[in-house]
Amino acid sequence: MATTTATITLASGDLLSNAISFSSTASLTKAGNSTGLTETSGLARTNFTDDPIHQKLIYRGDDATSDGANKIYMKNLSTTPSEYFQIYVNSEEMGRLYAGDWAFFPWAANNGTKRVFTVTIAATWAIGDTWEFDGVKLYADSATVGSIANQIHALNYPNWVTTHTTDAATVVFEDRVSGLGGTTVVVTADGTLNTDGNGTANISSAAVSVEGVGDIYAKPSVATTMDLEHMLFRQ
Amino acid sequence: MATTTSTLSLTSPDLTGDALALSVSKICYKGGTTVGLDQSTGLTRAYLTATTSIDIFPVVKGTTNAAETGKVYIANLSEDETEFLIVSLANSVIGRLYAGDFLWMPWTPQAQHLSDIEIVPSVATGMVVEYMAVHNFANIYPTSADS
Repeated sequence: MATTTATITLASGDLLSNAISFSSTASLTKAGNSTGLTETSGLARTNFTDDPIHQKLIYRGDDATSDGANKIYMKNLSTTPSEYFQIYVNSEEMGRLYAGDWAFFPWAANNGTKRVFTVTIAATWAIGDTWEFDGVKLYADSATVGSIANQIHALNYPNWVTTHTTDAATVVFEDRVSGLGGTTVVVTADGTLNTDGNGTANISSAAVSVEGVGDIYAKPSVATTMDLEHMLFRQ
Repeated sequence: MATTTSTLSLTSPDLTGDALALSVSKICYKGGTTVGLDQSTGLTRAYLTATTSIDIFPVVKGTTNAAETGKVYIANLSEDETEFLIVSLANSVIGRLYAGDFLWMPWTPQAQHLSDIEIVPSVATGMVVEYMAVHNFANIYPTSADS
């Protein structure tokens, strides 16, 4: 296991009548035990130069274990005092990070839901039949439904991952990340089929996809260049 | 003006192949200026014995500080590694502070209830927490007023 230590020191000689100076140190451990966090996104730097101004997704809820002892570090690298980032947890604005400001906070990483559906290869297929989905095209190299399903599973889809039992007629598709279908869209028969026989590739209806409610966004105050430094510690 | 300095140190010799030794320090300024924040709730230490939500920094009705930036410090002083504190921004959970964990985050209150910072202990057997805000807001009340 890794040992990662975070220490905060807060000091002021004149905020109150009595000087304050305190420090707190935390070992970053997994939820509910003393095992150190072992994964990190690495220290990252994201540039914002968009006109009009756009917010960017910094960390998606899917990036870490929900309700884990995840931590996020952020710093606004600007040196212009008036420039800030608005930091959002889902749609709620946490606050503004002005030039040089930093933050270190826990992250629940509440995941959204992913759409899941099943494709069933059935009826009569012929070698050379095609099936296309998510921009990926299959050319059947067999007339056997199990073999065609094997081929479908073997392909790589930009937005989906598949699970499949060898030679079974079905392939299960799942979103790579949650929320891509919006909050109301259900997968319909997106596959494009072209067969010489009467082969079918029907799909089951899919669960509604929901965006992760723990997604972290940042929005710069100006369209001229600004940089955000950030790092995720996750379990 | 007051000068309040927050410093963070993040270190690890073995989290990645390259040792981590990051240190940042910043004076807490009012939004968009180089004038120091001049108000504070004071450092509160509380012993919580119920798993109910508590507004530690509620926003006063009718006030808005959308262009400002306060700073919030919260620490879970529990020594039982299974005990945690759920920290929320109104209804949006930010994360869980496990025993010994702390946070330091910006806070820009938008409106009452929408921007309240709330905590919920995981157990009712007693947890000690510390919290403090450094700010320049018109009003925030360190009392419970969740709704």
